Amino acid sequence: MSPVSHLASRPSPGEPAAAVRTAGLRVRHRRTVALDSVDLDFGPGVHGLLGPNGAGKTSLIRVLATVAEPSGGRVEILGHDIRDHRRRGEVRRGLGYLPQDFGYYPGFTVREFVAYVAWLKEMPADGVPAAVERAVARVGLADRIDAKVRRLSGGMIRRVGIAQAVVNEPPVLLLDEPTAGLDPEQRVEFRELLRELGVSSTVIVSTHLVEDVAAACTEVTLVDAGRVAYRGTPPSLAALGESEGGPGDHPIERGYTAALRAHRASAPGGALR
Amino acid sequence: MNDWHASDHLMTRYADGSLPESDAWSLETHLERCGGCAVRVSRAVRATAAEAVLAEVREAVLAEAPAAAPAPAPERPAAARAHRWPSTGSRAVRVLWALGPAVRGAWLPAVLLVAVGAVALAHGGGFAHARPWLLALAPVVPVAGVALSYGPHADPMHEITAATPAAGLRLVLTRTAAVLAVSLPLLTLAGALLPSTGAPNAAAWLLPGLALTLASLALAGYVGLRAATAVTGGAWLCAVLGPVLTAPGGLTRELGLRLSSYLGGAPAQGGWAAAAVLSAALLAARRPAFHFLEKS
Repeated sequence: MSPVSHLASRPSPGEPAAAVRTAGLRVRHRRTVALDSVDLDFGPGVHGLLGPNGAGKTSLIRVLATVAEPSGGRVEILGHDIRDHRRRGEVRRGLGYLPQDFGYYPGFTVREFVAYVAWLKEMPADGVPAAVERAVARVGLADRIDAKVRRLSGGMIRRVGIAQAVVNEPPVLLLDEPTAGLDPEQRVEFRELLRELGVSSTVIVSTHLVEDVAAACTEVTLVDAGRVAYRGTPPSLAALGESEGGPGDHPIERGYTAALRAHRASAPGGALR
Repeated sequence: MNDWHASDHLMTRYADGSLPESDAWSLETHLERCGGCAVRVSRAVRATAAEAVLAEVREAVLAEAPAAAPAPAPERPAAARAHRWPSTGSRAVRVLWALGPAVRGAWLPAVLLVAVGAVALAHGGGFAHARPWLLALAPVVPVAGVALSYGPHADPMHEITAATPAAGLRLVLTRTAAVLAVSLPLLTLAGALLPSTGAPNAAAWLLPGLALTLASLALAGYVGLRAATAVTGGAWLCAVLGPVLTAPGGLTRELGLRLSSYLGGAPAQGGWAAAAVLSAALLAARRPAFHFLEKS
C-alpha cells in the first residue's frame, strides 16, 4: 500500500529499532481531517508531543493506543501492524495508556482501580498485587492506596491514571496531558518518573507545557493542523528559537512559535486552518 | 570447590583500576562465587580513594533515607484488607470485575423492579394479565443490559479498557453472559409465579430474548452497540405493541394474540432458534470489528 521504504532507512546502525512507527497515517473525524500523512517513528526515550489545541495530538495518541481506528496509512507498534487483529492482543499487552479523560466505577479504591486495569491487561494474577503496589508507589500515592478514587483530588486521580498506565511496565507508554492538574511539585516529581520510564520504554507524552518538554523529553515532535511541523531535540528546538527569534518567554517556547511559523509558511493551505 | 584465589597484587591492581579489562572481568566472575576473595577485594578497594567517595555516598543515602522511606506500616494495609471483601487478586473479585457496568449499575435494580413489580401487580394488585405484559417486555431487558455494558456511552472506564487486550468481542461476550445470567432466570421465575391466563409459557421468551441479544451484537459489528440495541429492542417492541395499541379490540386480548403468534408453538420457537444461530454466525464473522467498537 503506502511506501515504507523511507521509514526502513531511517534508524542508523547503532540506534535501537523503533517501537512505534506510523507511515502515511491519516485520521478523519466525520468531515474534518485530524491527522494527515503522518510519518513518525519513536524509539526508547521520552518523546514530547507539542502542538496547539486541536492540532491532532490526542488523535495521534488514541490511534497509537489502538483505541481509535486510522482511516488510512500504516501503524506499527512493537513490530506489529495494528490492523492485524490476531496480533492486537500482543500489542495491547505492551501498551500503557493514560487518556486525557477517564472515568472509574464509583466504589473503586485506588488499589481496586489499578488491579482492575491489570486484570484487563491480562497480567498473571499472582503478580498483580505486588505490581499494583509498585505502580501506586511510583506515582506517590502509597499512603492513599485504599482510599476511594472518588474521594481523591483531580491531581491525585490523574496520578492514579498514570499508575494504571505503568502497572504492566509497558514497553510503549502513551500519556495524554499527564501533567494537567498536577501542582508544580508533583510535576517536578512526575518528570523524574518520566525520565526513569524513558530509560527502557518508549514514552510518548502529549503536553502543552513547554517546561515539561524541556525538563523531561529526549525528543520533541511538533504537530500542527494534523501534520508534523517539526522534529528534533529540546536543545535543537531552543536553538531554533534563539536563531529565528520567535516570541515567547522560554527558549523552547520561542522555538515552538518559530517552528510553527516556519511550518505554516511552508505548508500550502496549512495556515488556513 | 575451586582452589584458585586472587593474589594480593591482582587485587591491588584491580582496586586502583590498572588491571586490564579482561582480567578484571575474570576476577569479578570469581568474586561472585568466592566470599573470601570478595571480602579481601572490598578491603583493597577501601584502601584507595574510593573509600572517601563510598563514605560520602553512604552518608548522602542515609541522610535521604528517613525522608524517602516512611516504612509503609505493614500492619495498617493488612488490617484494612482483612475486613474488606477479598483482596484484589482473588477469584471472587475477578468474577465481579467481569460483570461489567450494566450488572454493577442501574440495570440490575431495573430488572429486579420489572420482576418484582410484575409479581406484586399480579398478586397484590389483582392484575390478571401480568404474564403477557411481562413476556412482551422481557426480551428487551437483556438487550438493554447489553447496551449498558460496553462502549464509551455505557462504561466510564471504556477509554482505558479499549486499549487493553481484554477489549473487543471477548469482553463484550463476557458481559453479555453476565447480563443473561441475571435476566433469564429472574424474569422466567417471575413469569412462572404469575397466573397464566392463556398466555404462553413463562419460558417462551427465552429463545427470542437470546436471539434479540445475539442479533444486537451481530448488528453492533456494523453500526455500534448503541444503535444496534436500539434497532433490535425497538423492532421487538413495535412488532408486539404496535398492533396492540392500534387494534380496535381489547388491549390485553390483542396482546395475547400477538404473543401467541410470536412465541407460541414449535414453528415460532424454531424460528427464534434459527435466528439466534444465524446471529451467532454473523457475530463470529464480524469479530474484528469489535476491536474498534466506538461508532457513536
